[in-house]
Amino acid sequence: MRGLRGRLRILAVALIVIGIGTAIEFPDAARAAATLPILALFSVLRMVAAYLLSLLFAISYGHTAATNRRAATVMLPVMDILQSIPILGFFPFVLLFFVNGPLGDPVGIETAAVFLIFTSMAWNMAFGVYESITTLPQDLDQAARGFGLHGWLRFRLLAFPAMVPKLVYNSILSWTNGWFFLVASEIITTPRASYIRPGLGSFIYLAGQRGDLGGIAIGIAALATVVLLLDIFLWRPTSVWSERFRIETTAAGERPSLHVPSPYERLRWLPRFPRLRREVARRIQPLLDGYARSSSKLDRVYSSHRRVIRAVRRADIGMFVVIFVIVVATGLIGLVGFFQRPLPPGARDLPIAAAFSFSRLLLAYLTALAWTIPAAAWLGRSKWAARFVTPAFEISASIPATALQPLIIGFAVVVTMGGYFAGEIGAYLVSLFAMQWYLLFNLIAGVRSIPGDLDEAARGFGLRGRTYWRRLLLPALVPSLATGSITAWGAGWNALIVAEYLQFGQSVFSVTGLGASLYGATVVTGDYAMGYLTVLTMTAVVLILNKLLWRPIYKRAAVKYRMEV
Amino acid sequence: MGDAQPLLQVKDVSKSYFDNGKEFKILDRIRFELAEHDFVCVVGPSGCGKSTLLRIIVGLDTPTSGEVLFEGHPIRADNPQVAMVFQSFALFPWLTVAQNVELGLEALHEDPAKRRAVAKKFIDAVGLTGFENAYPRELSGGMKQRVGIARALAIEPLLLCMDEPFSSLDALTAQNLRDEILQLWSNPDLPPEAVLMVTHSIEEAVYLADRVIVLSSRPGRMVAELEIDLPRPRNRKDPEFYGWVDEIYSLIV
Repeated sequence: MRGLRGRLRILAVALIVIGIGTAIEFPDAARAAATLPILALFSVLRMVAAYLLSLLFAISYGHTAATNRRAATVMLPVMDILQSIPILGFFPFVLLFFVNGPLGDPVGIETAAVFLIFTSMAWNMAFGVYESITTLPQDLDQAARGFGLHGWLRFRLLAFPAMVPKLVYNSILSWTNGWFFLVASEIITTPRASYIRPGLGSFIYLAGQRGDLGGIAIGIAALATVVLLLDIFLWRPTSVWSERFRIETTAAGERPSLHVPSPYERLRWLPRFPRLRREVARRIQPLLDGYARSSSKLDRVYSSHRRVIRAVRRADIGMFVVIFVIVVATGLIGLVGFFQRPLPPGARDLPIAAAFSFSRLLLAYLTALAWTIPAAAWLGRSKWAARFVTPAFEISASIPATALQPLIIGFAVVVTMGGYFAGEIGAYLVSLFAMQWYLLFNLIAGVRSIPGDLDEAARGFGLRGRTYWRRLLLPALVPSLATGSITAWGAGWNALIVAEYLQFGQSVFSVTGLGASLYGATVVTGDYAMGYLTVLTMTAVVLILNKLLWRPIYKRAAVKYRMEV
Repeated sequence: MGDAQPLLQVKDVSKSYFDNGKEFKILDRIRFELAEHDFVCVVGPSGCGKSTLLRIIVGLDTPTSGEVLFEGHPIRADNPQVAMVFQSFALFPWLTVAQNVELGLEALHEDPAKRRAVAKKFIDAVGLTGFENAYPRELSGGMKQRVGIARALAIEPLLLCMDEPFSSLDALTAQNLRDEILQLWSNPDLPPEAVLMVTHSIEEAVYLADRVIVLSSRPGRMVAELEIDLPRPRNRKDPEFYGWVDEIYSLIV
């Protein structure tokens, strides 16, 4: 609770300072800021729509993949690929489909935006569902079967509750991803036209185009406020609530924890309106009773109509198969089309662009490693740091790199006085900001999960300084480093797409790289064949790196350096 | 037993696993019967397949050959006449004690009011009155297993199957629960009518059972079927008690 209050206090002070400062400096921006609440609402609604879609999708996809072995042979690789490729690269094509389709502007544009956010949210959640079902302890499964839980009843009492912890954990990740894409999805540029949907992302973007630093700052502050408010009032309570669904792996010998925490325990200091709540509870009691009655009726109907269920499930899987076949077929036809026509002239530069992009990410990654490892070692072990410094980092991390982009390029322009290197520095910094937080927070969690007795043993035997790092800290951090690296690189590739072509005021800063060539092809010249080829190159690079580099590292780390407590 | 049909018939049950075309035999032609009012324990060294045998008997696993008949019909996992208690308790962590106990009743589509009443009765019977709304993680191991037992009894089964139910509990708690199981079994007003229990503790088997089935280690074969005719309550310090324990011990080694 103290940590939370500390965080709120830091946030409030920061906001007030920024608010007063900018209102004095930039009166115009202050007037524009009055529209922010409504813009924030639009942005949040987009996120909620995409999230609800993702939730439904993740549950049905993950559950089917986990329970139907034949479907899983197709569904798992699809999930794996779609999760790791830079989705943002496909956006121009998705957009073409939605904008030129029957929906048009603005419905088509909004659908495209929600769809983009959806694709960034859905896959890790689906994996979470899949993992929860496949790692369900055998005894619980057998108890459910032995007591005759089938169909809906089994889902309601066993499968769904078992998904909750991973679903909530991944929802939080998905929202972080979602914010990143939301900012990118509110401004849509094609060679023919630019579409701007009202929201926080477009507010920041437009301020960046005007070169209006005050506007950028206000927009970013508003975005950070929304993200943090959601975090405090929605995600933290939800994640506390999800703890009660965690399955204990060790059956006995454990000290029973004295009570299950209530989700809003950390928010006790808020006014609680006991009378109002009692009144509401009294009013909705009949509704709850009705739900209990109807759900038991539903259980009965559902489990007594096996054939209906089987038909529904078959239709469901059939749908996946059809969609999948269509996607694969169009992809193949597109590919074949490529190799029949001569390659676009820019194709020869793609390997060089890929090498440049990769080096840029590598540099950003190494920078991130260099500061996050020592920082995590300190933040993970110091109570004082956990209380005061970590919240500050959490606030910074809550701002998606896409939103920081105008600020970063502004900074780069000032530093280089508008030279070519402004673009390079900008691209590097955007990538760094997209990557570093995943490393930092994974590493902090890694430091915290070092068992206390191991730490005591190390100190007891007099391990200090370099030996301590070499023998305990670094090996213990390997698994979280692997996880953090995989996520960081995934985020990095997505960030490159917006990082290599930056605009500030009237100036455009473009550097050599896959992101820039994609932007040039789809936005500037309208050469979609070239754009498609660029995305394919990027996807290939990412998949090859995943298969040849990250997977093997991750597997070894998972076996060798795991803490078995 | 007389002319009456035995409650449970285990007929030449064998179980093998196949790995790369190689056959690993777990259980080899297990054959026994269990009548109403029997208390049977299956003992054997670890890895003799006794847990697999129990899962085949309740229908959660299928035998490679042979069959299991309950009241003359092939067993089904969701048969409400048979209930299972697990070594790991297998309580649903997101359900309260009462909701866990109501689990089987919910699957039988009993109406909520009746579910609540039955659950209350068995929660009281295992001595957990007042803990209805607690979650499993708030309970000690012994209390968790009481919930497991109440959950099994709530569907009022004829046969209670227990898979090493006391082996993850401390000695004192385990002894209390053993006596309570004996009391429930001998109480004509409360289920179960018969108990089949798997254990690796010979002393526990001799303390509880009318009949002990001894399995050899891999593959599990029946080495002996012994009637324990000691009067109840049994005294662990009784030389006769130790005679039985020694005999079974020598059969396994």
